[in-house]
Amino acid sequence: MTQQLQSTRFGALDFAAEDIIHFPGGLAGFEDRRDYVLVEHAPDSPYQWLQSVESADLAFLLVEPGLFVADYAPEMPVRAVKNLELEESTPRVVYTIVTIPRGRPRDMTLNLAGPIVINVESRRAVQIILEGDEHPVRRRAFPEAEQAAA
Amino acid sequence: MLVLTRKVNQSIIIGEGVEVMILEVRGEQVRIGIKAPRDVTVHRKEIFELISEENVSAAGTSPDDLPPPDKPA
Repeated sequence: MTQQLQSTRFGALDFAAEDIIHFPGGLAGFEDRRDYVLVEHAPDSPYQWLQSVESADLAFLLVEPGLFVADYAPEMPVRAVKNLELEESTPRVVYTIVTIPRGRPRDMTLNLAGPIVINVESRRAVQIILEGDEHPVRRRAFPEAEQAAA
Repeated sequence: MLVLTRKVNQSIIIGEGVEVMILEVRGEQVRIGIKAPRDVTVHRKEIFELISEENVSAAGTSPDDLPPPDKPA
């Protein structure tokens, strides 16, 4: 059965119950928003939006970290693996949340400390909180912009 | 805030199935062991707060601001 939500950014969105990605614990700071749908940014774009089903104005921009960071392979905390019921063979996708300061696309950053992992089979997902300092919360997507600004 | 005094290897139990044990005290650092059910997440507060704040910033991202040509070079 198709449902519809009226999103602030994308207007009316049709989705089916099986399109919903369920975060049992929400995202950090947004613990009470648990159901989302993925929205393509544009045809063939590597960017997708994680649109809240519960809040019309809440959406996060996602991209696969491998597009910007070659060696990104964070170790999954055991607890997150269990929560997602991930077996060795379970298909999964890992996204990173993108932040673009208003009007400054070249200053786009990726949150490598809090990746989103989706169990593709069950459509359950978590935001992993990576302990340790090797994964920055704000990794610049375009490092050359840093030099240009200096 | 409830304040309790504990020695090394002593624990406190919180609610159903959460146990916090003092493992070692060395100078200003305290090593703590935590047993919790799998639906209870445990994080250092400062890291959790950092990511929460970044999520709030990320939620302000506008589709109009995606860098052209929409893809990394």
